Amino acid sequence: MPKSYSCAGIDRRRLMKSGLVLAAAQIASPFVIRARAADAVRIGLDNPLTGTYAANGKHELDGCQMALEGINAKGGILGRPVELVVEDSTSGDAGAAVQKARKLIEGDKVDFLLGNVNSALALAMAQVSNEKGILHIVPGGHTDAVTGSSCHWNVFRVCNTTQMEANAVASALVKEYGKKFYYITPDYAFGHTLEAGMVKAIAKLGGERVGGDLTPLGSVDFSSYLIKAQGMNPDVIIFLVQGDDMLNALKQAVQFGLQNKVHLAGAQQEMEPLEGLPPEARIGTWVLEWYWNQPGVPHVAEFVEATKKRTGRVPTARTWFGYVSTWTCAHAAAAAKSLKAVDMAKALQDYHLPPEIALGPNPAFYRAGQNQLLASLFVGDAQAKGSAPDDLFKVTKVVNGADIADTVEESGCKMTWPT
Amino acid sequence: MTQVVLFNVFNGLIVGAFYALMALGLSLILNLSGVINFAHGGFLALGAYLAFTLIPYIGFWGALVVAPLLTAALGLVIERLLIRPLYGGDPLYGLLLTFGLAYIFEDMTRFIWGAQSLPFQLPAWLTTSLSNEFFFVTGYRVFMIVIVVAAVGGLFAVLNYTRLGMRIRAGTRDLDTVSTLGVNVRVLRSLNFGIGIYMAGLAGVLAAGLLGLSPTIGASLIMPSFVAIIVGGLGSLLGTLLGGLLIGVASGLAAVYFPSATEAVIYVMMGLVLLIRPRGLLGEEGRLH
Repeated sequence: MPKSYSCAGIDRRRLMKSGLVLAAAQIASPFVIRARAADAVRIGLDNPLTGTYAANGKHELDGCQMALEGINAKGGILGRPVELVVEDSTSGDAGAAVQKARKLIEGDKVDFLLGNVNSALALAMAQVSNEKGILHIVPGGHTDAVTGSSCHWNVFRVCNTTQMEANAVASALVKEYGKKFYYITPDYAFGHTLEAGMVKAIAKLGGERVGGDLTPLGSVDFSSYLIKAQGMNPDVIIFLVQGDDMLNALKQAVQFGLQNKVHLAGAQQEMEPLEGLPPEARIGTWVLEWYWNQPGVPHVAEFVEATKKRTGRVPTARTWFGYVSTWTCAHAAAAAKSLKAVDMAKALQDYHLPPEIALGPNPAFYRAGQNQLLASLFVGDAQAKGSAPDDLFKVTKVVNGADIADTVEESGCKMTWPT
Repeated sequence: MTQVVLFNVFNGLIVGAFYALMALGLSLILNLSGVINFAHGGFLALGAYLAFTLIPYIGFWGALVVAPLLTAALGLVIERLLIRPLYGGDPLYGLLLTFGLAYIFEDMTRFIWGAQSLPFQLPAWLTTSLSNEFFFVTGYRVFMIVIVVAAVGGLFAVLNYTRLGMRIRAGTRDLDTVSTLGVNVRVLRSLNFGIGIYMAGLAGVLAAGLLGLSPTIGASLIMPSFVAIIVGGLGSLLGTLLGGLLIGVASGLAAVYFPSATEAVIYVMMGLVLLIRPRGLLGEEGRLH
């Protein structure tokens, strides 16, 4: 076969290839906000923008940016303008997250560090922020250890612990649906602690675990687990898998018609996966950590409108996490009248967020000695059709976080302050 | 317990048929062109997303026909621009190129359709169980099997009874001789690549009905497909089919006894095959050397 390449031919081809790759890389690479004013206060966000948690990370970023605008409109932090420096932590590479955290602290000289969606990455970043003595807010990484056995004086968390989520939903399940529970649990730290929490909370109420499966993260096929679960005749199948795994599992369970035989439920649920499910698969009893449809609760409607105007969609719990995290930075500095991390961390002990940031029916405050935000949890059922196209969840009970959180002693947090 | 085992074996066959569909496309390209197409999962995702976009206009059935064809068309463009220059070179270059492409595809999908999963709507009658006792036999799964059987049957018919198929098979054995006999190898490779990508697109539309439609949908399916090829044997499409079914059943059985090992078990199988019979169950001797 004759094959003649002129030099020009190769060059053209190479050019086209590099052009295409470059164009794609331009589009694909995460954007970084780098407007720099000399005297600005900097907040560094080290959160996933690519990979499994990209959607969650994007919504937290939306919340951060909305808060940033609000803070700057009110005169900034201690009279200085505020900037957000954004880095993609990736969804699962702790090494990358730590390296970006160091870059933000040492290179960009940020005054606050925010992140991460992934609990493991949040824990890794917390070690860096603690070593550097920077105030660190974890918007949405749930593993108990962040404000439990691995707590630090400088690390605060907005989302709930897995144990709180388990406690919130357990009583509704045992009361309404029976005592025999089967677990479908993701096989990593988050899943293990969440299942242990659920089993503990349900046992207190007289329910029992009749069986369960640990499923590898990123499982495609859940049918074999579902077949097995059905064989054990439980009253409730508990899905503790998250994200895409949750979508796959629920879609397959509904295609099997399992919802007509047993009750399907879980602990943590989010708007992001619910929106990815076809209506018939939006079922089950869950707990949301924040919900946009809270009739009568002050300031919520304004926040929802502002988010819609900015992003074209309703806020999710993730948007709220980002919003609260960024506002917390401003409140910490204002309360301490300083940007010194120790002063700010001390000022945040038992600090109550104002209603326009708390955006829920119960008080929201950072519990002293643990740095865990206690706010409202929303227990209810996913629904195929609600009052509006975005109304995918029917809240049946709002639980006060302060009522269901374990004590600081039970959390295992032993905080040591710098001397 | 016996019932659960039987259920899982049967269910494993259903899932395995799906792996096989994806692996057949991969295998086709690998056999003729020697390109290890890591971007296959990206094409799969593209097929799924195109179907999602097309459904409001032409319905599920229309999308099932059109989306894989569009995917194949893009596959042809990419083959012409990027992959063709690498034919005959070190397979490593093709691997590196497609590995990079896989990332580009994933982020392009994320850029165009968003990072969040999208609800993929199937016709209602497909999404219900056919029998109360055998609840895992849903309309959709039966439909998938029908499509897989039709696609695999069609592929084997093309390969065995058409001039193009004959040339592809001959090229798989000895491309130089086929070229010497006057067959336009460039066109042959392009068409073969197109058929392979068509199957990825088709697998994508089917996967979107079963799984959550997110940019990572292809990445989670690509590894089992490679394993299916290695277990079944390089160079043998029948082997690939068998490999897909076997790993489906193995992972179904693992779910009964060692639930957390459902993914590990397919790699253990691959390791065993490589140790005991490196050419795979139906593979040709010397293909790996």
